[in-house]
Amino acid sequence: MFHRNPFFRHFAIVAVLLAVSLCASPPKAKGQGSSPSIDFFSGINFGFSDMHFERQYDVLLQLTPGFKFNFGNHWQLAGQAVVPIVNTYGEQYKYVQIGAFNISKEFRISKLHLKASAGVFDMYRYGVDLKAFLPLCGWFAFEGQMGYVGTMYFNETFHINKPNTFVWTVGGDIYLSQWNTQFRGTVGRYLYRDYGIEAEAMRHFNHTTVSVYGHWSNEYGLDGGFRIVIALPPYHRKHRAVNFRLASNYQMSYSVMYKVYSNRMYHTDPEENIRHGWFSRDLLQWGSHTMEPDFIITEKKKKNETP
Amino acid sequence: MKHHNINIIAALMLLWLLPQTGKSQQYTGISGLVHVPSGEMNHEGDAFIGAHFLNKAMTPDTGFIYPGDGKKYHTFDYYISLTPFSWLEMSYVCTERIYRKDAQGHVLNWSKDRYASVKIRPLKEGKYHPAITIGGNDVLTTGYLPGHTDVQLYFCNFYVAATKHFTFGGNELGVTLCYRYYLRGYNSKWNGIVGGITFRPAFFPQGRLIAEYTGNEFILGTDMLLWQHLRLQASLKDFKHFYGGICLQFNLLGKKYTY
Repeated sequence: MFHRNPFFRHFAIVAVLLAVSLCASPPKAKGQGSSPSIDFFSGINFGFSDMHFERQYDVLLQLTPGFKFNFGNHWQLAGQAVVPIVNTYGEQYKYVQIGAFNISKEFRISKLHLKASAGVFDMYRYGVDLKAFLPLCGWFAFEGQMGYVGTMYFNETFHINKPNTFVWTVGGDIYLSQWNTQFRGTVGRYLYRDYGIEAEAMRHFNHTTVSVYGHWSNEYGLDGGFRIVIALPPYHRKHRAVNFRLASNYQMSYSVMYKVYSNRMYHTDPEENIRHGWFSRDLLQWGSHTMEPDFIITEKKKKNETP
Repeated sequence: MKHHNINIIAALMLLWLLPQTGKSQQYTGISGLVHVPSGEMNHEGDAFIGAHFLNKAMTPDTGFIYPGDGKKYHTFDYYISLTPFSWLEMSYVCTERIYRKDAQGHVLNWSKDRYASVKIRPLKEGKYHPAITIGGNDVLTTGYLPGHTDVQLYFCNFYVAATKHFTFGGNELGVTLCYRYYLRGYNSKWNGIVGGITFRPAFFPQGRLIAEYTGNEFILGTDMLLWQHLRLQASLKDFKHFYGGICLQFNLLGKKYTY
């Protein structure tokens, strides 16, 4: 009888995929994956919208403190809180929310890169997620994502609904290294159960990526806009067992039509962005990961260690 | 009034004593002269965030008249722009419009007119031929999408521009010729052949003076860059109406240019 229930059916699909992926033999990790460490960081979300004639802009400023505990071999526990500072968006944004609290694992099977995550994501969602990236050559790669999620948020009281939304995207990426330019196209089923397509063109600069995008949703129609991601300094960092730093990046996006429910997808990593992609630089050398790194990270020498 | 104009001209001259550079049709964030587009391009990786004062003498005759009193008004715009490649510039501009006034005539609320500009350079300047660019301001509208009826396009225009630079004794003279077409009839005074000249002196190569004909009026102006990131433009239409702005400028590729 369980197999007829959509909840258990979708959960079983994703759980089996996660189990298979987690049991797959991981490659020997280097860099970020090799030494356990914990990073405490904080950034901001800054949003402004032009929806009321009575005000120039509605403003939302949130503080986003978080942590990432890398306990070796590309296992990671990540958490983030979203704390409202200034809010004229509305009642629903006045509460402290969980931006992330999940465990994830990155690994590789031959050329196929996978990342499995389980826990709380942003967009008030929790559940399981699997991302895949398959570079066919230096300039072309396939990508895909699937997840099974429910909603969870604070609003006077704590609300949680059991997972009931199966989301997926598949698509391809083209990277032109000579111009540090990337094109991305995806189709999929999104968080608000709409089906849609999206195309994005990105230009990667030294510490900044700017993209223009357009998407169509069967429920909400056309929209488009641009996105900006700025890697935040300091760009030279020392790696210790415990690190305190700014968030790795600041990002903003602009939507022409302000269709807030169209083609939406959660993020599993609190610092996930279009510039750095889904996977760690030391595991996946493709696309913007072949450029000069944003952050030069040197290991902190121990006192007794000779150079 | 005359005193006022002399002060503005004196301010323009004073600004010229400061280190300066620029090649911007700055109110759109796109390269050009003041109101006239040119064949020049910003440098690859250049990003601008700025605001510009728009004298009512230079705004479209529709869309910038307050319905309550039928008068045109001074306004300003703000923008971000980017040159992702040496042959492509893009910008996004918001122009403020008065939405509501109180009984005493004080502005209560402003609304915004949004538009995008794009410029492409198919031919780079050579020894014997000019650089050629094609482009447009206010080139997109959501008004044609289903469910929308407000097709505004107040600033919509398309152009082909050619610019050739000549050097003599280290000085640089730029000559720009442009054919421009405004979509809206109320802007037709700026249609047709327009153009201007720029002068960059040898003793001060970062600087540039601009004189241009917009199709309807003459404009004299200058651009400047302070501390490598603060960019100013000031100009006078027909020696009477001030038109100017300020912006922050960065090169996202980390390059530094003399001008």
